[in-house]
Amino acid sequence: MITLDRASLRYGPILGLSPTTFQLPEGGGITGLLGPNGAGKSSLLQLLSGLLPPSGGGVKVFGEAPFRNPSVLARLGLVPEGDRLPSGLSADRWLRMMGELSGLSGEGLKAAMARALGIVGMADRAHLTFSRMSKGMRQRIRLAQALLHEPELLILDEPFSGLDPEARLTLMALLRDLAEKGTRILVSSHILGEIAQLTDRILLLFRGRLLAEGSVTEIRQLLDRHPVELRLTGEAQALARWAVEQPELAALRMEDGAVVISVRSPRDLLPRLQKAAAEGGIPLRALDPLDLNLDAVFQYLTKDHA
Amino acid sequence: MPIYAPTLPPAPDLHQGHPPALVLMRFDFTRLWRQKIGRFFGFAFLMMLLWKVARIYVDHLLQTNQAFRPMQDFAKTVLTQGADFQADLLNPASYLLWFLVALVGGGLVARDTLYRVRPLMYAHPVAPKDYLLAKLGFASALPFTILLPFALLPWLMSLLLAGTSGPVWVTVPLRLLPAMAVSSVLMGSLAVGASSMAATPRAGIGWVLGLVLGTGTLATMIHGLTGIRAIDGLNPVMLAEAWPQLFVGVEHPMVAWLPAVLGTAFHIGIWTFVAARRTRPSEVVI
Repeated sequence: MITLDRASLRYGPILGLSPTTFQLPEGGGITGLLGPNGAGKSSLLQLLSGLLPPSGGGVKVFGEAPFRNPSVLARLGLVPEGDRLPSGLSADRWLRMMGELSGLSGEGLKAAMARALGIVGMADRAHLTFSRMSKGMRQRIRLAQALLHEPELLILDEPFSGLDPEARLTLMALLRDLAEKGTRILVSSHILGEIAQLTDRILLLFRGRLLAEGSVTEIRQLLDRHPVELRLTGEAQALARWAVEQPELAALRMEDGAVVISVRSPRDLLPRLQKAAAEGGIPLRALDPLDLNLDAVFQYLTKDHA
Repeated sequence: MPIYAPTLPPAPDLHQGHPPALVLMRFDFTRLWRQKIGRFFGFAFLMMLLWKVARIYVDHLLQTNQAFRPMQDFAKTVLTQGADFQADLLNPASYLLWFLVALVGGGLVARDTLYRVRPLMYAHPVAPKDYLLAKLGFASALPFTILLPFALLPWLMSLLLAGTSGPVWVTVPLRLLPAMAVSSVLMGSLAVGASSMAATPRAGIGWVLGLVLGTGTLATMIHGLTGIRAIDGLNPVMLAEAWPQLFVGVEHPMVAWLPAVLGTAFHIGIWTFVAARRTRPSEVVI
């Protein structure tokens, strides 16, 4: 569905995105585009949504270059960052114009508006002006405009920015529902927790470079320089004795009632740990991975490339 | 792992609607229609139009009623006659029209800049030229639509009252409509170019008024210093008023043909260029 082949983007002398290569397959699902401010997320989204041509390399969406390509643009929906909308304008008038710009008209447009407003739960409030809407409601309307023409690819730039927790959860549920129904969703954020709650598939950008792509677990396994930390809770002395005999052990730290071990290949160690615990060989009460989450992966990657 | 939907509903029927430029123009017209701004200007233009029509009737009375015959000579010295009268059908509305164009046109592009609407539009099958065409089309159609009754109603009134011998020439629409078109495009391109340089609608109004009055003052100063009348071709207000005079063949137009053509081409060219540059996709920020 999306192919970047050494695609880069320059803003004059400033490199917004270094030559980047990746592919996103056909079909539904959510991919998180993660990176701190200035990482190149918006640059990448500008390339994918056809707003700018790449300065180098190639970008293909649905097999074609998206820049000024109506056949590609008609198949994607964009929700840009920010929530500024003309304050005196009613949502339905705004949606009608956006729908017409997508090529809808007449009864088809009416049906599309009803469907999109129904999806975002705003069917009975679309007559309100934007000045009378909360931030969450405005974000839902922005999502509705992107859904009017039933895009196969939905691109959202920082969609959770400024939303309260309830509105955030509602929007996440909406996106998951859309993904389950077959829409490919690419959502950018600089907040790890948001992406971690939403999806396991990530593209990690840092300083204009794509550092990693894949699931959090896959990426974590590739970080050989940072052994996985596991907390083994139980009788600490006995657990430490068992751990030091394991060839994968890189480091060990004693805690009160637990031992924290760093291992290089947890996939090899864990079956043996499981077997030893099942046979009563070690007094293990609990096992907690400490740095298998997105937060740790992000920190390791950005630290390595800083 | 991505989740694939077993079946997908049929995609909506796209490519059924109007061209994007037309959709955007209609949206701007609807927005203007709902604004209260139209009440004041509507009243002011209506009063002017009534005065024009009344003038035709007065002229008719002077010609046909014996009781008014002694006033004929006086009226001829006070009221414009001949080609000047034909051109004057449009001119008194000029300043008010410029003000309306500044007020409405100043926000046309600036409002989209403020609300960051262009990234959204360009992410639809809307090309930058569609956007520019819509804005220029709207900003030019607005003064043209307002001027239209000024050209047609007095003409129609004159025809009804006195036939081909009335005070308004029978061929006036053929002369005034092209003049209105040129003046309207001049006003529209200047408004859109100025608006594209502003970040808010209010700033856009300021830009339009600043450019109109600024270039006008500059041209007048240079004219005064050098004595070269052709410099008035840089004054957009004078240009807009000169076109009807040129088309009806006034003996001493405000600006001669060549400076008018060059000045109008300069303004339309430069402000359209500015607007095109400022509304490029690379100027929008997601």
